[in-house]
Amino acid sequence: MAYMNMSMGEAHRRITDYLNRFSDAVSSQDGASFKSLFALSSNSPFLLSLADAVALFHDANRLINQSDSYSQFSDILLPLLRSVQNYKQGDFVEAYLAFEKTANAFIQEFRNWESAWALEALYVIVHDIRVLAEKADKELASTGKSPEKLKGAGSFLMKVFGALAGKGSKRVGALYVTCQLFKIYFKLGTVHLCRSVIRSIETARIFDFEEFPKRDKVTYMYYTGRLEVFNENFPSADYKLSYALKHCNPQREANIRLILKHLIPVKLSIGILPNHRLLEKYSLLEYSNIVLALRRGDLRLLRCALQDYEDRFLRSGVYLVLEKLELQVYQRLVKKIYIIQKQKDPSKAHQVKLEVIVKALKWLEIDMDVDEVECIMAILIYKNLMKGYFAHKSKVVVLSKTDPFPKLIGKPVNS
Amino acid sequence: MATEPKAATEDVKIDLFEDDDEFEEFEINEEWDDKEEGKDVTQQWEDDWDDDDVSDDFSLQLRRELESNNDKN
Repeated sequence: MAYMNMSMGEAHRRITDYLNRFSDAVSSQDGASFKSLFALSSNSPFLLSLADAVALFHDANRLINQSDSYSQFSDILLPLLRSVQNYKQGDFVEAYLAFEKTANAFIQEFRNWESAWALEALYVIVHDIRVLAEKADKELASTGKSPEKLKGAGSFLMKVFGALAGKGSKRVGALYVTCQLFKIYFKLGTVHLCRSVIRSIETARIFDFEEFPKRDKVTYMYYTGRLEVFNENFPSADYKLSYALKHCNPQREANIRLILKHLIPVKLSIGILPNHRLLEKYSLLEYSNIVLALRRGDLRLLRCALQDYEDRFLRSGVYLVLEKLELQVYQRLVKKIYIIQKQKDPSKAHQVKLEVIVKALKWLEIDMDVDEVECIMAILIYKNLMKGYFAHKSKVVVLSKTDPFPKLIGKPVNS
Repeated sequence: MATEPKAATEDVKIDLFEDDDEFEEFEINEEWDDKEEGKDVTQQWEDDWDDDDVSDDFSLQLRRELESNNDKN
């Protein structure tokens, strides 16, 4: 063990040094120094060696209680030192439990500090409580126990949100906490819980969305954009994800990629295609055959692409959105048939026999009979992807002479 | 570095949700100028692709296929 190389005197010195930094930061309201005292998950050498010192010294409690400048914060400090030690030793459940105590005690003090000087420390605590909860749940699950720490961290964050939802300068922190909550709810699969905090952010009069830091607005729009995709509100999803894309730090390519991963299916649904260059640059080539299928009207290619990347699309929650592109692909295919017919014989082109469509589909290795094709054509007309009517007896689609295949131009298919 | 949890092994079935698409944290004071480079990535979309061009390979093959039936008749 590393700390065997440390002397008792050295351990004593390190712990006292930490305690002094803590009380100095509070008395001078030095937010930058303060936040580094809580950053467990950062694995800073400073905290790691503190962990060794605490483990070696055994009786850090005595040190905390021997001076007023530390003991007044003993509710924060005692569990915090325990947590630091547990974390280093890989006891994540214990580390989480202790950190949760620290966090609750911190919030009590935080409420009393008038200014927002400790907001960055709060961010660190909010972030780390989530990360610790995740590690604790992994540990619980691996020993066959029920993982409920992340859920508990979510409850704590709601409490923090409440502490920030006031008129003072602390309220700009609310969006960061919201985003951490989103991460928790998405991870737990309880995304319906996002609704109440979204409502608070978007309708409460104390919040002005523009006042929040840019990085939090980008993160917020990414997650709420994803929710809009789940709910198939495409214009809204387009707005939010495009906002995130436009305002995201361009050097954060991993995040740009994530935004695009969810935005592309939305754009496709409203008839807009990404350049191939975009797909290459951000490694999103799983979409390239889908884009090609839309361009061509190649239903077989669409279905193959969906199958090839089914797992990936399902995990991201975009599979159903992409599957619904079938209608747009049908539209494009019929349009091509129409144009080809028009080139041969313009006078008859607007009449498309169903059996011709059946034949084209058969060529694409898709086996559908005339009745099934009729059904699809009826849907295309119903959803205004095709203008015309049915001559049912003669099994012919009679297309409108003007604009028989209305373009989506940024609007979703009629539902 | 923190040591691994005592009981965990890689192939233990963990009944937890994952979110593959978790956004990376920005640094607390991360600043950037999104006016210049941000534009590039937002300009990579086409809305005029749905044209009447049937000279591509796929369309030519489709045409051949549609015409082939006439030969049989």
